[in-house]
Amino acid sequence: MNKVQEVFWKEEASLVEGGATLQKRLASQKRINLYLILWIRPLLQSRWPQFLVRALTLAGFVFTIAAGLFGSRVGSHNFAIIFVWIAWWTALKLAFIPLGGRSWCSVCPIPLPGEWMQQRGILEKGGQRFGLSLRWPKRLKGSWLQSSGFLLIGLFSAVTLTDARVTAWVLLSLFGLAVGLSLVFERRAFCSYICPIGGFTGIYAKTAPVEVRVIDTVICATHSEKTCYQNCPWGLYPLALRDSAQCGLCMECLRSCPKDNIAVNVRPFGSDVGQPHHSSRPDEAILALVMLGSALAFSAVFIGPWGILKSAAFAIGSPAWLLYGLGFLALNLLVMPGAFTLAVWAGQGWSGSKTQLRRAVANQAQVLLPLGLFAWIAFTISFAFPKMNYVLSVLSDPLGWGWNLLGTANTAWSPDVSGFSPILQVAILLVGLFWSASIAHRLAQTTNQPPLRQTLPILAFCLVFSLAMLWLMVG
Amino acid sequence: MRETRNKWFSIWRWAALAGLALLVLFLPIPVNATTPVERTFHIQASQFAYSPAVLSVNPGDRVTIELLATDVVHGLSIDGYNLETTADPGQAARLTFVADRQGSFRFRCTVTCGNMHPFMIGKLQVGRNDLLWRGALLAGLVLIAGIWGLRK
Amino acid sequence: MRKEWLARIIVIFLVVAAVAIPVGAWWLRSRGIVIHAQMAETGGWMPESLTVEVGQPLHLRLTSDDVMHSFAVGQSNQPPVDVIPGEMTDVTLTFDRPGKYTFYCTRWCSVNHWRMRGTIEVTGPETTAEAVKPPLYVTLGMDIDAEHHAEVIPNQMPSVARGAKLGVSIPTEYQSQEYYLSHSPVELWKALREESSLSRLSDQDLWDLVALTWQSNTTPQDLKQGQQLFGTNCAACHGEAGAGDGVFANDLEQPKTGDHTDMQTGEMTMRPTDFTDPEHLLAASPAHLQGKILRGGMGTGMPYWGPIFTEEQTWALVAYLWTFQFEMEDLP
Repeated sequence: MNKVQEVFWKEEASLVEGGATLQKRLASQKRINLYLILWIRPLLQSRWPQFLVRALTLAGFVFTIAAGLFGSRVGSHNFAIIFVWIAWWTALKLAFIPLGGRSWCSVCPIPLPGEWMQQRGILEKGGQRFGLSLRWPKRLKGSWLQSSGFLLIGLFSAVTLTDARVTAWVLLSLFGLAVGLSLVFERRAFCSYICPIGGFTGIYAKTAPVEVRVIDTVICATHSEKTCYQNCPWGLYPLALRDSAQCGLCMECLRSCPKDNIAVNVRPFGSDVGQPHHSSRPDEAILALVMLGSALAFSAVFIGPWGILKSAAFAIGSPAWLLYGLGFLALNLLVMPGAFTLAVWAGQGWSGSKTQLRRAVANQAQVLLPLGLFAWIAFTISFAFPKMNYVLSVLSDPLGWGWNLLGTANTAWSPDVSGFSPILQVAILLVGLFWSASIAHRLAQTTNQPPLRQTLPILAFCLVFSLAMLWLMVG
Repeated sequence: MRETRNKWFSIWRWAALAGLALLVLFLPIPVNATTPVERTFHIQASQFAYSPAVLSVNPGDRVTIELLATDVVHGLSIDGYNLETTADPGQAARLTFVADRQGSFRFRCTVTCGNMHPFMIGKLQVGRNDLLWRGALLAGLVLIAGIWGLRK
Repeated sequence: MRKEWLARIIVIFLVVAAVAIPVGAWWLRSRGIVIHAQMAETGGWMPESLTVEVGQPLHLRLTSDDVMHSFAVGQSNQPPVDVIPGEMTDVTLTFDRPGKYTFYCTRWCSVNHWRMRGTIEVTGPETTAEAVKPPLYVTLGMDIDAEHHAEVIPNQMPSVARGAKLGVSIPTEYQSQEYYLSHSPVELWKALREESSLSRLSDQDLWDLVALTWQSNTTPQDLKQGQQLFGTNCAACHGEAGAGDGVFANDLEQPKTGDHTDMQTGEMTMRPTDFTDPEHLLAASPAHLQGKILRGGMGTGMPYWGPIFTEEQTWALVAYLWTFQFEMEDLP
């Protein structure tokens, strides 16, 4: 109770001391600080709730690997396949990311053993950090490796998504990699620079309604120790945090700030995009384009009626697969970036803008974020909804060995999603398009050039992409 | 004065857009009346594709699908039509129905036939795909709304 | 410090539980017999040999690791049981006579589906050794691998109905079952052509009489059973219409280059027989056909059904094969 009042008192004090700018900022920001809500505060402040959730996800993860390695090879009856690619993937795309940004990262079990080793303790940190704690090489920073990782998964997706053993080995490899990197590099190096999930979760987190930010910068100015930065496993400096893409919502800064000056805010959707202060990074632009290209490719391979594509994607090592791989990479690395660059260039030229093309492309790429997010949500609905019944049956018989733990092993019902599912997919794609268009327009209005001229080619790009997704989903 | 005129203009154009959107969504487009015919499709099912995979019929046609499994046991079930059949290699299975629902429906394999079984998909196109057309037109309208909207 | 230890205990407990469940279950499971079914190319039945004592129930749990299979025991009343991918099916078998039994897959799962067989050795006190009756073609000394061609074939498909309408009866020696079993249709036709009492009849009429005679040696139930057996076991290679154009026909015709699907045996395979070819089938006797079915083809890829079909089933299947050459009314 004291701390809450203290915060309020502090804010009042700041206002009196000439925080006219602070007052304006607080009023215009439309944020609700969850940390101030009485029943949420202890849940975030104590390490126990998050720890318990993570312990459970870790156990689930271990069980998933065991199920993948030892259970039935038939994907539809194996916990590993159903829970990773249907249940967790749907939860990630439909809830964790759109509503919580990088919220999965706050409960993800993969970095846990590495973290525990680094900090020499599970709940409470031991003394000196364990491991080499090297700095991550500057050249490898950014999301380049994450984009590459995602493309790699795409090349082998037909086998990974359908073979329980392969899924288990992939998870095991990620686990081993995370632990290994934790022993060599400082903090959550795997999560920040390698994890393919972290890559796209990060860029879409910019549109999500959750953020962790400093409350009053004046207080930070007088605090020299910077315990928040010392404790952040992501290597972030909360005072300088403008963008939620790198923040894994682990709440360590929150817990360690002696001045209680960090907030967990619920904010309007899309708060990090379309703002003048948005940092435009070319690696994020490429990732956004790769996500669009992959959405098209995955929809064509997994939801389309083209058997030749599926066979090619599945027959790893064959000439057909090489062709498929080349096509997949060309789409993601040549066609999508090329078309987008062309659109930006045309817009720049038409509107007479003097901005350097590379910067303009990187800046405009934030327009693609809602488009990609919603395209992936629509794809996930199309892909996972017809198979949801397997989630229930696999809970009763996770290994495909004829168990019936919860009595749901024979849920053979397949919901007739054909009624609302296509309509839902169309609606979702349209929401993404609307949002992207409004960001594009908002962005263009911050420059001096005629806004419509600059955005029209980019909007055309978005429209063509949406029509292509529409056709693949419901055509 | 100018402000109220702008405001009135803004309200007017939003109403027009909304009206257009409702039209696109709900305006019933008459179906091109075609005489219903009998159509038969011989679909070969193999791991993991149907051949042919895309069937086009007119609304009202009486469709017979003969499913020939060529390597393992396969099935076929049509979304939205609630029909299903299973075929063993060497024993063709037949499905007959009247295509009374218009649109694009996917049909899937219902017997686990290997790894890629969940993605063994084909398409049945009955007449015009209204959802696609309406969706595409709405996409254009949504684009306009995005450009106009969210002024700050 | 206490909190830290509590946290460590929780983690260890959860992780151990996560590992213990599958491992423990696997250990428990290995106390029963679980048979994994896979396509013949990747292993077939695993395990494929079982032993049980006579009179003792044999509890089996069957599951498939890839596609739909089915489990049945040859020459027994055990109805086939589907072996479904990812699901467990329970079957209990009890044998009242010692011997070697064959279990097999009854739903086509690849071109080598018929090779998916295993054995159950039933041990017990030896009863009086039953003399194994050799198949008819052996008793008759027939060479079922010899080339056979019908020198004369009908102009149109012989019809039982037309034959019956002729209202003629053929000499009794040709109407016996023994004659039917050991002679081919063309042999009967040639014999009838020699008969002076039938000299006024046309060639086609005589063929119709042959069809009638052939049909008189079987029953509608047999034909129905034969049709069902053909559909389940033969149509995949020989075609639903018996024309040798089944879904696997092309796979079997491939020349052996060493990297063919049939790598298990390295055996030559041939295109399946076309039963609609009169030159071929009309020159074969039922015993010949039964022999082929029982023994399989040497160097042709034709499966051997000896351990699978009962004698009754084999004759029913043979009777059905004639429907590809004769219009036999009683087919459903």
